[in-house]
Amino acid sequence: MSDRIVLCIGTKKGLFVAESSKTRRSFALRGPFGAGVEVYSALIETRGSPRIYASSCNPFFGMKVLRSTNLGKSFAETKAAPAFPKDDGRALANIWSIEPGEGKKELFAGVEPAALFHSENNGDSWEMVASISNHPHARQWSPGNGGLCMHTIVRDGKRVHLGISTGGHYLSEDGGATFAPANNGVGAGFAPDPYPEFGQCVHKIARHPAVPGRLYMQNHGGWAEWSGAGGPRPGIGVLRSDDHGHTWKSIAKGLPSDFGFPMVVHPHDPDTIYVVPLETQTRTCPGGAPAVWRSENAGASWRRLASGFPKKDSYITVLRDALDIDELKSPALYLGTTTGQLWIGRDGGEKWECLFDSLPPIRCVKVAVA
Amino acid sequence: MNSPRAQLSPTEKAASVTLHIPAPLRQYCGGESELALQAPSVRALLAQLELRHPALYRCVCDETTAVRRHINIFINTNHIRDREGLDTPLTTGDAVSILPAVSGG
Repeated sequence: MSDRIVLCIGTKKGLFVAESSKTRRSFALRGPFGAGVEVYSALIETRGSPRIYASSCNPFFGMKVLRSTNLGKSFAETKAAPAFPKDDGRALANIWSIEPGEGKKELFAGVEPAALFHSENNGDSWEMVASISNHPHARQWSPGNGGLCMHTIVRDGKRVHLGISTGGHYLSEDGGATFAPANNGVGAGFAPDPYPEFGQCVHKIARHPAVPGRLYMQNHGGWAEWSGAGGPRPGIGVLRSDDHGHTWKSIAKGLPSDFGFPMVVHPHDPDTIYVVPLETQTRTCPGGAPAVWRSENAGASWRRLASGFPKKDSYITVLRDALDIDELKSPALYLGTTTGQLWIGRDGGEKWECLFDSLPPIRCVKVAVA
Repeated sequence: MNSPRAQLSPTEKAASVTLHIPAPLRQYCGGESELALQAPSVRALLAQLELRHPALYRCVCDETTAVRRHINIFINTNHIRDREGLDTPLTTGDAVSILPAVSGG
């Protein structure tokens, strides 16, 4: 029977693991694993024997994948990390996403430069998925501020949704054999055409398994005041699709900013979603007052959740994978900042408390009941 | 820096050299701190490394076979960039060192 909350915290200086009983009263921290090396992605796989995976992006010696078979008490490198074919000409720069496949031993990795890799043996060997990695558009994608990365992999049976910055949203409806851009309604602020076929700077895509046709997207917003070619693009940052990602519409009304990175869906309510609006220029929380915003009606309206956060002088940034939510009956959110704070938002984000205030800069946060 | 993929000339004469391995990379070559190799040039040495210790090679060179950005290779006390890069010839008795750059924060 599951009786622990396990948190993986990927930081600039390695992976930390925090563990608590289901009361979540206190968390014990261990690590860093892969010490000194940046961790942008982690996965806690609870199917079968629990395993934890984390990318370890070593600027000196290249990319590694770490694996733990004892819930984060120790880690070892897998036998191989994703690598482009020798004649491809691209070299792996980072691993932005590790997601489970259909089988218990199956993994997908989204990488920089934007490409998808697949493993069928718990990460011991990897094959590039050519249908998207060598897509005719691939050489036209361009890097955003964080690099040219495939950061989001969302699977739904034969449908596979990919988020690429900057490439946009790509959809496969045949299990990954073919992909096509699906960005109808997804705006871009950095191109003369406000709604290009592809090339958008998607930040995150999320869904709930109970309503598979509905997807939520945090896109690169902040273009409401744009006065150049193509005119202003208000509200393009927070979007919803009700047709498996074929078309998207804005749900940004009511938010203080449509710029942000993470997007999380409540585990028991497909209508409840969370975002962390940031000021466009500074990419910090508006007014120096941190808050998570929640909608309980699929984006029709929003409420500010800030109880427990500082009321002023706190200019935190939360990156795309640094917000997660557990699956207990009354779930808690976990939020990591680039200034090294790990916050818990109890009771669905109603009350926030800082669990750890001096970690290295946080890149990703993943939680599981294990 | 050019690719280290080897194109050995039949006229090239291999030199017996010692490759010094930094501590963080010894796990990829059975814990050895140095390897005895025979190669006429740095490029050929890296090609041998790929054959004999592929995991170690991948830490030094990326998929395009370029030496990783933060890796420096020295022959005795000379950085190969100050000589002939990967085409720098090796002489028997040379000490070749792989050193990660001191950088970051």
